[in-house]
Amino acid sequence: MRRELERVEIPGEAEAAERARRVVAAALAERAPRAAGPARRASRAAVLAAAAAGALAVAASPAGPALLRSVRHAVGLERAEPALVRLPAAGRLLVDSTAGAWIVAADGSKRLLGRYAESSWSPHGLFELAARGQELAALDPKGNVRWSLEREGRVRGPRWSPDGYRVAYLAGRELRVVAGDGAGDRLVEAPVAAVAPAWRPGPGHVLAYAAPDGAVRVVDADSGARLAAWRGRNRPLRLAWSPDGTRLLGVGRSTIDLLTPSLARVSSVSLGLADPGRVTVAAAVWAPRGRRYAFVVHDAARDRSTVFVQGERRARFQGTGLVDGLAWSPDGRWLLVAWRTADQWVFVRVGGAPRLRAVASISAQFRSSSYPRVGGWCC
Amino acid sequence: MVALFPSREERAWVRGAQAGSAADLEALFRAHWPRAFRAAYLVVHDAAAAEDIAQEAFLAAIRRLDRFDRRRPFGPWLHRIAVNRAIDWARSRQLRAEVELAGERAWEDARDLSDETVAALARLTPEHRAVIVLRHLLGYSPAEIAELLGLPRGTVNSRLRRGLDTLKEAVSREA
Repeated sequence: MRRELERVEIPGEAEAAERARRVVAAALAERAPRAAGPARRASRAAVLAAAAAGALAVAASPAGPALLRSVRHAVGLERAEPALVRLPAAGRLLVDSTAGAWIVAADGSKRLLGRYAESSWSPHGLFELAARGQELAALDPKGNVRWSLEREGRVRGPRWSPDGYRVAYLAGRELRVVAGDGAGDRLVEAPVAAVAPAWRPGPGHVLAYAAPDGAVRVVDADSGARLAAWRGRNRPLRLAWSPDGTRLLGVGRSTIDLLTPSLARVSSVSLGLADPGRVTVAAAVWAPRGRRYAFVVHDAARDRSTVFVQGERRARFQGTGLVDGLAWSPDGRWLLVAWRTADQWVFVRVGGAPRLRAVASISAQFRSSSYPRVGGWCC
Repeated sequence: MVALFPSREERAWVRGAQAGSAADLEALFRAHWPRAFRAAYLVVHDAAAAEDIAQEAFLAAIRRLDRFDRRRPFGPWLHRIAVNRAIDWARSRQLRAEVELAGERAWEDARDLSDETVAALARLTPEHRAVIVLRHLLGYSPAEIAELLGLPRGTVNSRLRRGLDTLKEAVSREA
């Protein structure tokens, strides 16, 4: 019997061992005794493992404790500004409220584009994609419709390719692609899961999407050729390529998987395996440059959300309740934390000395009956 | 029956890993990963899940490394975590499959498995698979399995017996 069990072939056994070896070594490096001096880089695995263990307490930076204490026991920052009068960094925000899609300029002025949702930026911020029921529309920053099309299913998750020549979107359970000028709309795959597709930065038109069975697939959107497929333990809820196109982030309910373009797993961490569902990943967003990302974990037992930047040991922000969105400023120096429970936006400076700036009453400012969604902070 | 005491070599690796030695941790990993991963795979029958489970078991072990008693062997400590998590994972998948496909999924999975041994194991419940794996792959005695899984010894014995009977029956039917 023992020989039988030992001779069972396990697919990818050697590769799995190598991946695990790297993750385990990184975790040890993180827990090893530290010398005084600048904090060393923490691995994703170690930071997430700490979160999984419920170690969500923040070891705040020297300038941080007072700021963090002030938010830990209250829902909302006390000194939040009553209105958004300016953004802390250059660029414009795209926001979806129940009133429609909005563009917020750096000086805080807002323009309602129309009754759209699911909005996202074109690569250089010259246009926006937005959806209204079964309609997909490309808009200019003044809200003029450049082109639009209607499909049978509800349109969701439209995304412009990094070179601007393609748009991918979901229509019902179909994944479709249309040229950047609205021509040549066609089906790529059906059925697919309700997860926004992600274009890989780089040459060609390579698209990652989630299949209904929870698999992640990568296809050449022009030829339809399937380039890679991978299935993890949990269904991916969000997919995002790193800006250099060398890593794909697959975020599940309580997992973060980092994959190569051929969908080999580089690292994978499951939060709260011992207590499933307690700790969940609410959002994860790549920084505009480099290979780091920010993510939010929510600990249901403590009803607390904590924002980490990958590669850092210390949390950047912690607050009661739910944080359900993150957006990096185009210069990568600020992080917008969408704090739903407090109905606030908190801008956290991640480049330079720690600093927080909060803005209150976000729903009212966007004439929304529910907390607005941040569609992106662009150039 | 597995060794009650760790080898001198293993004690040195654990001591080194506790002090932050990457080389000693690597030695521990190389000594214990293959069996932890294989044990998890034989319980869950999903290579990606087995990888996650074994990896999480190692990470959990590292988190608790400072509290580990070096006089005790590392393997059982790791196997306890890995096998219990594998059982939890397999149970939750079984539950999902029942809800989604009215119980057909487990049988479909079993038919997809090309290896005869794995296919036969797939006909057992996760709990039965776990005791078979602990007994026949990892070499634990029924008493040790009872301790690892927190079960009465009689339950372990009956699961072993029933598991082996089912396996024999499945293998002879395949032949």
